Amino acid sequence: MIQNAWLIPVFPLIAFLILLFIGRFLKEKASYVGIAALALSFIVSVLVLFERIGGETYTFVIEWITFGESTITMGYEVTALNAMMLIVVTLVSLVVHIFSREYMHDDNRIHVFYSYLGLFSFSMLGLVLAPNVLQLFIFWELVGLCSFLLVGFWYFKPEAAAAAKKAFLTTRIGDVGLLLGLVILFNQTGSFDYGVIYAAVENGLINDTLITATALLIFLGAVGKSAQFPLHVWLPDAMEGPTPVSALIHAATMVAAGVYLVGVMYPLFLASSTAMTVVAYTGAITAFFAATMALVMTDIKRVLAYSTISQLGFMILALGTAGYVAGLFHLMTHAFFKALLFLGAGSVIFAVHHRQDIRDMGGLWSKMKITSVTFLIGALAIAGVFPLAGFWSKEEILASALLNGDGFLFAIALITAFMTAFYMFRLFFKTFTGEYRGGDHDDPHADDPRVDAYGAADVAEADNPRDESMDKEAHVPPAEDHGHHHSPEENSGFMTLPLIVLASLAVVAGLVNLPFMGYPLEGFLTEGLNLGSQPHGALWLAILSLAVAGSGIALAWAMYYKGAIAEDFFAKKAPGVHNLLLNKYYLDEIYTAVFVRPTVAIGRFFWEMDKSIVDGMVNLIGRSTSSTGRSFGRRHNGQLQTYGLVSILGGIVVIALAFVLRGYFG
Amino acid sequence: MTAFDANWSLMTPEIVLAALALLVFTIDFMTGIHGKKPFIGRLSVLSLLVTAVLVVVTNSTSGSIAEVFVVDPFAMVFKLIILIGVAMVILISMNFLDRERNAEVYQGEYYSIMLFAALGAMIMVSSADLITLFIGLEILSISSYVLAGFKKYSRPSTEAAIKYVVLGGTASAFILYGMSFLYGLTGSTSLLEIGQAIPMLFEEYTFVVMMSFLFMLAGFGFKISIVPFHMWAPDVYEGAPTPVTAFLSVVSKLAGFGIILRVFFLGFGGVYQEWAFIIAVIAAITMIAGNFIALTQTNVKRLMAYSGIAQAGYLLVPVATVVGDVGINMIVFYSVAYLMMTLGAFAVITLVTEDTGTSDLSSFAGLYQRAPYLAIAMTVFLVSLAGLPLTAGFIGKAYIFFGAVAGEMLWLAIIMIVTSVISFFYYFGFIKQMFMTDPRPNDKELAVPGSMQTVVTVSLAVTVILGILPGLVLDIFNTFNWMAFF
Repeated sequence: MIQNAWLIPVFPLIAFLILLFIGRFLKEKASYVGIAALALSFIVSVLVLFERIGGETYTFVIEWITFGESTITMGYEVTALNAMMLIVVTLVSLVVHIFSREYMHDDNRIHVFYSYLGLFSFSMLGLVLAPNVLQLFIFWELVGLCSFLLVGFWYFKPEAAAAAKKAFLTTRIGDVGLLLGLVILFNQTGSFDYGVIYAAVENGLINDTLITATALLIFLGAVGKSAQFPLHVWLPDAMEGPTPVSALIHAATMVAAGVYLVGVMYPLFLASSTAMTVVAYTGAITAFFAATMALVMTDIKRVLAYSTISQLGFMILALGTAGYVAGLFHLMTHAFFKALLFLGAGSVIFAVHHRQDIRDMGGLWSKMKITSVTFLIGALAIAGVFPLAGFWSKEEILASALLNGDGFLFAIALITAFMTAFYMFRLFFKTFTGEYRGGDHDDPHADDPRVDAYGAADVAEADNPRDESMDKEAHVPPAEDHGHHHSPEENSGFMTLPLIVLASLAVVAGLVNLPFMGYPLEGFLTEGLNLGSQPHGALWLAILSLAVAGSGIALAWAMYYKGAIAEDFFAKKAPGVHNLLLNKYYLDEIYTAVFVRPTVAIGRFFWEMDKSIVDGMVNLIGRSTSSTGRSFGRRHNGQLQTYGLVSILGGIVVIALAFVLRGYFG
Repeated sequence: MTAFDANWSLMTPEIVLAALALLVFTIDFMTGIHGKKPFIGRLSVLSLLVTAVLVVVTNSTSGSIAEVFVVDPFAMVFKLIILIGVAMVILISMNFLDRERNAEVYQGEYYSIMLFAALGAMIMVSSADLITLFIGLEILSISSYVLAGFKKYSRPSTEAAIKYVVLGGTASAFILYGMSFLYGLTGSTSLLEIGQAIPMLFEEYTFVVMMSFLFMLAGFGFKISIVPFHMWAPDVYEGAPTPVTAFLSVVSKLAGFGIILRVFFLGFGGVYQEWAFIIAVIAAITMIAGNFIALTQTNVKRLMAYSGIAQAGYLLVPVATVVGDVGINMIVFYSVAYLMMTLGAFAVITLVTEDTGTSDLSSFAGLYQRAPYLAIAMTVFLVSLAGLPLTAGFIGKAYIFFGAVAGEMLWLAIIMIVTSVISFFYYFGFIKQMFMTDPRPNDKELAVPGSMQTVVTVSLAVTVILGILPGLVLDIFNTFNWMAFF
């Protein structure tokens, strides 16, 4: 089966093509096309994994283009790492496909939604299967594009359109680094193939400065994609997309691509201690700052978004402290429990009629049993409670920060682990315990995409009576018809089954790397790679990490369940800090002031130069020519002479500069 | 007499095209002035395609007429680019000219002048002699001036034409002045002879040789609109009829690159090291200014003018970084990509701006709902211009980028990639209008005429196919000995 691994991305691609052409006739049934395709992909992925466990890396490539002396190939490769990734991606994608059938049920463009999901799954799987870094880059851009489409899916919300653009353009900054890094590597080694690059690094064919430079440039790509500080600002905004999209793209798969990239280029990073330090500190800083912001957010999805950034920081921290397996192990477990939490949040949001503010929730425990229990499992897993998946992988990251990092990194990791447990249980208690607060008042914090959506659709419909799809959309019962006044209920099997599947994985996924079984995942992932020994923690570390998680949960319990400490206790104690966190450290404002405005200003500057400065200069110098130009001048605002003169002056300046710089006079 | 012994069959395509252009012209005034005459448009497209076939048939073996008019892979590929480009421009124009409001436009003249412009461009890329080259250039230029002012009752169009004539004349003067230095030094107008003499002359007359080079650079720079010789482009592009804008920004510009390569590589190739850096600096300034100014534009045609300036900057990068055939590979590949993505975009722009009667960016509002196919195709053209993978534009840019890194001009490569990221912002402006804005109240579903559909589909197919399988043409280019006509 391993030779047929190419089938894995092809199924979703076929689904995409089918939906692209006949999706509008299928409407709701479009979901079955997507689900079937992903089910097939998942089955093939499982078969491939089993074959890879007993076998060897399989590579198939064909020649693509010849650039000068070098031939670039395209194809696919099944290594230990990507065999694991295939399972993660196809499984999460499959459950998200199933979940969306109910979640997107009322949306008139559900077939478009499924076609984008198919395209995304294809691209993500293509990225994972790529045998060289150029092919990875191509799919890397493609997943970015799909993310753009899906974040902006409810484009009639201005925030969604803006968030889509922000997500795409912010990650592009990282992509500049990635492309530059891989072209320099290509220039040095004559190949994009991972194997050739590893060999060149090991044999010392690239000098140390260049290794550090390329590693850092490639890491910049990972920083953008995996939303690491300082490029993390796009991910919270990307929550404007539909929740299943957040679960699939912005929690489990695409945002993990940056971590995966560092993983596949690991020999390059290992060869540069500078790069490793930068990676470790970027991860630690990101983990810490994102966790602090998660403490105060009130939008259920934003808390999870900051939590994702923070957890990705953990993975990067692990990779930066030589914890190759720890980072990738956490990538896998996190994919399961974070997808679970997002889908759980989606289930809640769906049940409370598309409100996302946790201040309007509460008391859902008795009303939504399956969602509540599975969400609790996810929260326990991410907090790192024994024996759930998160416990095992987080413990390894702590071990790696302690053994290969320094005290600072370890301390940050511990504090972050504490905050993680706290904000997750703040979220849990606020959402599921206490009284339901969303019942009978018109909610001031309502953030209902569909109400906006239908509002916009109504306008469009009035303006544009031809458009049938808009017309139908206007008849879809908006949130009002479900009834703000009805209390929330558990959702149907399409939504609960994925939760159950993911919850079971959040419980058992840690088993694949159990210490008592000799770390099977570690053996699998490191086989054939020269990565040195992997760090493992002692028993006291496990106990310490449990204590940290326990105290975080206890504090949340005291504040948000028991009420022993007032909810605004800390906000009152340190209002400045609270405000700073609520405003996300004012990073958006700072970026606008430092980057966006100057860019536009530079554009204006050149534009003004084209228009007026040149005019002024010419008026000054060119008075003498005005008599000849007068007849034209009046009709054409003198611009014609200006342009002519500028061309001539430009020519003279270029000539003069060239002569001075190149010394043709001497 | 060598002239009579020469292999005149090499010039078959040019002779045939000249005859067909005259035929189109004659048929036009035999059939009266007014009314719709789509058959003339079709005849013109047919003429260009026939010529293109003749180019492939007669120009596939290299040769020359007294080393003045030369035929080599370089000439052949550029002629095909020009012919296909003009054919697509005419397909875009047919719809434009058929409209009621443009009834005063004399179609026959329009088409025959287009054909003459193509003829001029063909002669230009086939010359290895300064005189022939200049004649080709002027045939192309004068035709372009007339085309720019074709809406003669429209003030912006007339104004554009006058600006273009005066500034184009200035540029031609620059070129001639530069050429005269070369002639003075070598006593020859043959690029081959000049090329042989240059390295030695450079030792002795550094000043004059560089003066000549820089004057020509200024003149050619005007034709391909690079900074600081770009100022005419936004005004002329905005005023000229939209299909003519397409012609200027694609055919005229690429033909200009053709002669830049011919003159600089053949004539000044011996002193490459002396001028490569100047070109690199100009390429950098062009990419920066073009992309940044484009950010501030809201008029579609002006925006495309600045985008075209930036694209000329990208095309200039390999001139500065890669010597010889590999550099020409890059430029020709990107030229093909540029031809397709830009003409495709202009087809959509023509249709949309003509339909809405404004060339403001908001004319694209809700295009996805009005004409989904056009909106999707336009998106592909734009992301290709911006350089996203799976499009010809990405491969072309990546190839040029590799060349710049390999040529040890890392700073230029970085400027190229950073400015191309900036270009995403303004290309996304279109995408946002098309997909994320509702159509304006009176905009109905947009009917796409057959000729437009053809242009959009061909451009879309080539942009995507070359993005996925660039080997289809790159493998052929790799076998070419581009300028081996002797």
